Amino acid sequence: MRTARRISQVFFLLSFLWLVWRTTYPYDSLIPADLFLRASALVAVTTILTSRSLVPQVLLGLLVLALTVPLGRAFCGWVCPLGTTLEVVRKVSSSKRKAPRKTPSTRWRWGKFAILVGILVSAVLGTQLLWPFDPVVLLTRTASVALYPLFTAAVSGLLGLVARVPFLEGAAYRGYALLYSAWFPLKQPPFHLVELFFVLLVLILALEKASRRFWCRNLCPLGALLGFFSQFRVLHREVDENCSACGLCKARCRMNAVEDDYVTTSAVECIACGECVSVCAPRATHYALRKPVRSGTVDLDRRRFIGATVAGVATVGLLGVGFVDRGRRASVIRPPGALPEADFLDRCIRCQECVKVCSSTGGCLQPSLWESGLVGLWTPVARPREGYCEYNCNLCGQVCPTGAIHRLPLEVKQLTKIGLAFFDKSRCIPWYRGEDCLVCEEHCPVPDKAIRFDEHTVRRPDGSEALVKLPYVVEELCIGCGICVTKCPVVGQGGIFLTSANEQRWPGSESLSQ
Amino acid sequence: MSAFVRRGDVVLVKPNMAWDRLPEHAANTDPEVVAEIVRLCMEAGARKVKVLDRTCNEARRCYLRSGIQKAAEKEGAEVPFVLEQRFVKMSIPEGEELKSWLFYRDAMEADVLINVPVLKSHSVSGLTIGLKNLMGILGGDRGQLHHRFDKKIVDINTVVRPQLTLLDATRVLLRNGPQGGNLRDVQQMDTVVAGVDRVAVDAYGALLFGRDPAQLGFLVEAQRRGLGTLDVKRLRVEKVTLSA
Ligand code: SF4
Ligand code: SF4
Repeated sequence: MRTARRISQVFFLLSFLWLVWRTTYPYDSLIPADLFLRASALVAVTTILTSRSLVPQVLLGLLVLALTVPLGRAFCGWVCPLGTTLEVVRKVSSSKRKAPRKTPSTRWRWGKFAILVGILVSAVLGTQLLWPFDPVVLLTRTASVALYPLFTAAVSGLLGLVARVPFLEGAAYRGYALLYSAWFPLKQPPFHLVELFFVLLVLILALEKASRRFWCRNLCPLGALLGFFSQFRVLHREVDENCSACGLCKARCRMNAVEDDYVTTSAVECIACGECVSVCAPRATHYALRKPVRSGTVDLDRRRFIGATVAGVATVGLLGVGFVDRGRRASVIRPPGALPEADFLDRCIRCQECVKVCSSTGGCLQPSLWESGLVGLWTPVARPREGYCEYNCNLCGQVCPTGAIHRLPLEVKQLTKIGLAFFDKSRCIPWYRGEDCLVCEEHCPVPDKAIRFDEHTVRRPDGSEALVKLPYVVEELCIGCGICVTKCPVVGQGGIFLTSANEQRWPGSESLSQ
Repeated sequence: MSAFVRRGDVVLVKPNMAWDRLPEHAANTDPEVVAEIVRLCMEAGARKVKVLDRTCNEARRCYLRSGIQKAAEKEGAEVPFVLEQRFVKMSIPEGEELKSWLFYRDAMEADVLINVPVLKSHSVSGLTIGLKNLMGILGGDRGQLHHRFDKKIVDINTVVRPQLTLLDATRVLLRNGPQGGNLRDVQQMDTVVAGVDRVAVDAYGALLFGRDPAQLGFLVEAQRRGLGTLDVKRLRVEKVTLSA
């Protein structure tokens, strides 16, 4: 059983990483890149609550939840990529010979239920707050925009060093060519806040030092949700009379689901990993199907339940009254197909799938900072000076696990306005210096050009006169892709900039900047 | 082709594949023209033919959708992506505006450089043709080159000297260059212009396009600095008509 479980864990972790890697142009993956996110029951439940609709993307999560009723928290034991990561880290960081440590404490178990209640309460109020805590979301985010760039940077850096050795130069460049031909992004953009993502993951991994699966037992709201539903499971741990009461099962149980009598098991905490079955020398422990009787307790007393509810309500309230000024809001350019802002914020789980895929094509999307307030933290927002929305691309909508970004057919996306460009005539070269430039016009992908120009005789700063091509934006045609902003050669802040004016949301339209 | 390529040579073919556009949009060099050049080079005994361009849109997209990657690889060329690490800073001794810039090593080290621009409209320079196409082997922020463009582009061309220029005018993008996107801006011309005098080739291209070469600043500048001649009438032009 242990072998089977390990194979399953490794398989799912590798699949997870493979999908993160495959979230890239050209996106032709038959298996959707957001599969694991969709399998998170917590993503499913909160998405239904915040959007008050049954979006098709959440069905897989509901299925996982439904399976928990008969099977228990097998997802945690056999599938969850974060759970597996924790175990891998534990394996490689602890020395082999050490005897199994004392059983982890059950004192903080209520923590995960409190977090779950807080998340669910805010979801009922219409605000999506799972994103700091859902393990699949958390790992997807960190892997996509922190670990992956770290990995590619490390490998390229290494090859760069090799290339300095004179006789290895050719080999190093062949290495580059191979990596870039299929494996690596040609240009890996840097992301906002990667350090924070990274630190958060490291903290969770470090908790393993405190005790095994500390995160899973005490903090994980997805585990709490699955645990709640597995109270009525039919697959149970059973112990027969051969039990010699050696206590190995309890000592080895990573979840501390085995009670002091070694027989009773918490249906809520047990993740069906089968460790107890594998270690039981007299083979007294096995799994069996039993009639569903409620067993195991959800460690959340009334006081803490009320506390978590109040905390959830208060958070939602505070986020709601937070101040965002108009200037900052106007810089919030959302990906094409984004829902109207309020719905978008409630739907987006900040997994960074769109950001990851975008980095392989136009490269405009970044996890946001405070532009749309704390309530919008880590939501995708375009940074046109760093990258642009590629005219022939509609990938972000294809990888969004919750439908926060609508899937737009390419022809529709190419007409969808996400913002509007404005010239800053005090920075634009033809305007302030009286010399031709038109890099923006050159790159404008709209077939009829949203940037046009008139020839005028202007007086240059030095007093001379010259015939210059002065550019302007055709408001009706500009889709706000921002390539003009990206490519503008003016140092620092460009001669053209983007605001969210004219943006169209999907479905329907709503402009933030009105 | 054997006049240019000797047995064992490394050839670099520089088409325009800067844009994420399909061949029919005429924003990039026609893949069939590139493939044919690769084939001829191979026939002439080239050891290696490389086809590359520093693109404007994301490189993978451009290589794929221009159709050039596939077509050239089929004829045995290498179609590598441009690596930022392989640009070298070179001085431009004859430069009037630019004294140095970043050039792509593979292009500078190749035995033979064949420039294969596509003929299309461009609002800054008037047209993109051969001289301008060589911007694709430049590193750095090329946007900086767009003002005082005429001089800078000639500066660059004093350093990079392709042995052969083949202008692809099979399809010509008449308006909304350099990337177009509208089929109604594209005209079928089924013409390829080849020559060793790159200024003359460009001038001939300008005539095809219906522009007076003497009105194009960078060509006038190039002639002034002795890179070639604008006077197409004085050249020996051989017309070959191929039946399909
Ligand atoms: S459609 Fe635009 S924003 Fe979305 S992934 Fe593509 S380039 Fe990025
Ligand atoms: S944002 Fe700039 S490049 Fe994009 S459509 Fe508007 S004017 Fe053109």
